Amino acid sequence: MKWFKKKNKLYLSDKQPLSTLGMIGLALSYVVLIAWVIAILWPLFQMVVSAFNGKQEQYLMLNDNFEFSFEHFKYLFSETLYLTWVKNTIFIAASTAILTLTIVSFTGFAYSRYRFKGRKASLMAIMLIQTIPTFAGITAYFTMHSIIGSLAPWFSRQMMLILIYSGGGIAGNTFILKGYIDSISTELDDAARIDGCSSMQVYRLIIMPIAKPMLAIIALWSFIGPFMDYLLPRVLLTNPKSFTLAAGLFTLISDFRTLNQPAFAAGGLLTAVPIVILFIVLQKQLVSGLAQGSVKG
Amino acid sequence: MEKKSIFLYDDIGNSYKRKNKYLLELYTLNAQMQEADSNGKKVIRNQIQKLKSNKKDHPYNIAHDTFKKEEKNFLSALNAKTKVYKSEMDTSGSRKLRALKTDLFKAKEKVDFYKKYVELSYDAELQYEQSKIEMTYLPEIIDLLIVTRQELNAAYEAKKKIDRDKEQIAKKNYSELKQIEQKRFLEGKVKLKEKKKSGLISEKALRNGIIELKAKRKETNTLNSYNIETKSVKELIKNKKYVLTKGIKLKLKILKSNLSDVRRKTPIETGKTVPFYSFLTILIPGIGQLLNKQYFKALLFSLVTLFIYFIAIPYALGYGNYQGDGISGLLSLAKDGKKIDKSLIFMIEGIVAVFLVLITIALYALSFNDVLKTEKNIIRGIRPRNWFETVSKIEQEGFPYMVSAPALLLTIFIVLVPITTAILLSFTGMDPQNQSKFGWVGIENYRLIALGQGLAGSVFWSILSWTLIWTVVATSLAIATGFFLAILANNDRIKGKTFFRVVYLLPWAVPAFITIMFFSIMFSPNGALTTVIYDLFNIQVQVKNDATLSRITLIFLQTWLGSSYVFLLSTGVLQAIPGDLYEAAQIDGATAWQKLKRITLPIVLFQTAPLLVGQYTFNFNNFSIIYLFNGGGPFNPSKYGNLAGSTDLLISYIYKLTMENQYQSIGAAITIVISMGLMLFAFIGFKNSKAFKEERL
Repeated sequence: MKWFKKKNKLYLSDKQPLSTLGMIGLALSYVVLIAWVIAILWPLFQMVVSAFNGKQEQYLMLNDNFEFSFEHFKYLFSETLYLTWVKNTIFIAASTAILTLTIVSFTGFAYSRYRFKGRKASLMAIMLIQTIPTFAGITAYFTMHSIIGSLAPWFSRQMMLILIYSGGGIAGNTFILKGYIDSISTELDDAARIDGCSSMQVYRLIIMPIAKPMLAIIALWSFIGPFMDYLLPRVLLTNPKSFTLAAGLFTLISDFRTLNQPAFAAGGLLTAVPIVILFIVLQKQLVSGLAQGSVKG
Repeated sequence: MEKKSIFLYDDIGNSYKRKNKYLLELYTLNAQMQEADSNGKKVIRNQIQKLKSNKKDHPYNIAHDTFKKEEKNFLSALNAKTKVYKSEMDTSGSRKLRALKTDLFKAKEKVDFYKKYVELSYDAELQYEQSKIEMTYLPEIIDLLIVTRQELNAAYEAKKKIDRDKEQIAKKNYSELKQIEQKRFLEGKVKLKEKKKSGLISEKALRNGIIELKAKRKETNTLNSYNIETKSVKELIKNKKYVLTKGIKLKLKILKSNLSDVRRKTPIETGKTVPFYSFLTILIPGIGQLLNKQYFKALLFSLVTLFIYFIAIPYALGYGNYQGDGISGLLSLAKDGKKIDKSLIFMIEGIVAVFLVLITIALYALSFNDVLKTEKNIIRGIRPRNWFETVSKIEQEGFPYMVSAPALLLTIFIVLVPITTAILLSFTGMDPQNQSKFGWVGIENYRLIALGQGLAGSVFWSILSWTLIWTVVATSLAIATGFFLAILANNDRIKGKTFFRVVYLLPWAVPAFITIMFFSIMFSPNGALTTVIYDLFNIQVQVKNDATLSRITLIFLQTWLGSSYVFLLSTGVLQAIPGDLYEAAQIDGATAWQKLKRITLPIVLFQTAPLLVGQYTFNFNNFSIIYLFNGGGPFNPSKYGNLAGSTDLLISYIYKLTMENQYQSIGAAITIVISMGLMLFAFIGFKNSKAFKEERL
């Protein structure tokens, strides 16, 4: 007890003691921060509550009746195609990530390490072209798919979607990866080449292992993209069996035949939780990846 | 280094004397003529004429002709001799061995023959030198091959003869040794732990020490395991097999690069002065390379020829199209075509054809340049590259092109073709009445937009103004909020930073479509938020039915969503600002506000500027939030017509035009207009960026 008293008397911090004004400021800061926390958590809390509330009917309402149940989850799994949507989304996302990574790892390496003809011009061009919204090509994508689909029936709309996602991601990701590889010393390459490595070996044995963190970020972003996108699946995919999560879940709140808002909340919750965990664990890498791409350019 | 030089040059500019006395004489006269006066010129011209008319009787040419004849005889004789040699060779060796021996035999014969002509011609010199190198290297390789083969066989024999009893004993010994080693490892570990306990070494040193001990244990175990015969023999076989394949390959590679070294240092002589092959064979890639005696390259380029004449050009002319008519389909747009013909398909196939033609032109240029360069080099004296050199050159310099090719193809077909389609579509009249067949209408669509006329164009300007207001206000508010929160949460005295950061991350991490849809539910007439507002203020708000309220709600919703990202970005930057900056400011008597204004703001803004600009363009095209929240509504036909709602942005308006109401061409025109705007925006931003200014591209 004695020890505590002593501590109270002595001011040991290396910061200046707070003035009254500072105290008020600090209190205000807390008020604002906590207010924003409530603003963020309340809607999300509502979502969680309604997902587990067995008393909710087809439409979500704010009421005091709460009865914990998995009813909406059951509905989601038995009455809707939720699992198919999950499968579709993961398939599309994984294919996109793999395709993007394969292509971009090569282009990023080539743009960083080689001075070839048309390099600067093409860099500038891809910078500008990527500002055009993907949406611009939507009419063409439709017809292109019907052309390719009639020649090769196995070419599904999902594959078209994968190609569009990967094609759209090439420019930006090449830029990010190029910036990262630029920061790797070229002396490493030179040493490897003197030891007899071919370009392919330098790529495979030297650059790729070092660039792994950035490759992971690119793969992650390419993987998350299809989870977040609503527009393209909605336009390109017509059959509910081929929907992604975004397009599928929207039918639960937009279409009168399948309307079930609590089930939407449940599905949204199930979708959001893994992604949120991923983001919380990897937030530093995700943010730094973005920043690197833009600052280094 | 003019064409008719009396010297020959190699890649790096070393000069060599000509061995062709006739050409030397001719070019010397040429050189003299340029310096001589008019009288002298006449004399020299006569001399040249005389020399040229007596070309065949020139002593050098006669000698060269005999050389050629003898070489021919020699080569046919050599062929016969080689056959004999091959048949007499014992067939026990592997095919590789026999091939190498034959090569060595040939090289010996060649050295003897070409030695006599080294002074006469560079070709002979090259053959002589190369054969000499082969003679020095090949025996070594052959020996290695034979010896290793023998050793391998011996190892196989040893494997068969392994004594099982001895093997058992060895295994027993090994496991005993292993146990001893394990004991030693454990002892070492205990010792290290004791050291750690008594505070002699750190935690990290302990970990490293254990790793070191483990490595040592593994090493000793492996070493001991070789006392077991099966294991050691197995290892030996593996080793010898490696030498036989990879080792020999490496040696051969060294030989080849030595040979090509000689090739680089021995010039070539030709009477040709004009590189006419390249011009003659421009239309058929591959032939020029063949004439230059680059057979491998010729093969590669013949594939190009196949692509051009069997895929690209037929397609462009309309053969092999799905429905369209190649490039001409682009002009006609299926105007007088069959009933099932669709203009859009004609257009897209036409665009694909145009891109194929562009690729074709690029390939022609590539082939032409390649032949021209080789020919010019030959005239200067540089030998064309052989197969080995071509491959290594492609491996080095062609690498970026080869690995970018898939990206280029994907970009052309997934990005460029659709965008070109959109551009062309904006000049046509594709609307609900003209879905399958439509024609060119020039700039009609742009005129309608600019003047604000027509069903679709009339609301363009009012939607544009809302889009701009939305972009600026929603983004700025999100940025300001995120930044403000970051500064507050980054205060040293605030406790629970981790908690705040995790919570503030949530709006960014939860997929936006889920939150938007959920907010949409909550703002519906019986939704949670509507009820809460009613309970608190006793007002019945119908957000989704009121244009202004909808807009304000959307802006706040975007603030809720977007501030999270800005918060994370700014926090990252804030943490990286060195503390001594603030200390220095403190000492100089700066107030908190001054510190914020002069230190924090500039640093954060500078570092995150490109991303913040990206936020503006993102919101300009933020389709999801508008469409998912209220489908662009509420609708107000008197102001926004039947197609758009009062919260529609241009992007969702385009969506409604193209996907829901089939006004594709005017939708395309609006797309092009906003794309141009965005591109300009991006270009300005990009030009001012650090990377571009520092020429680090």
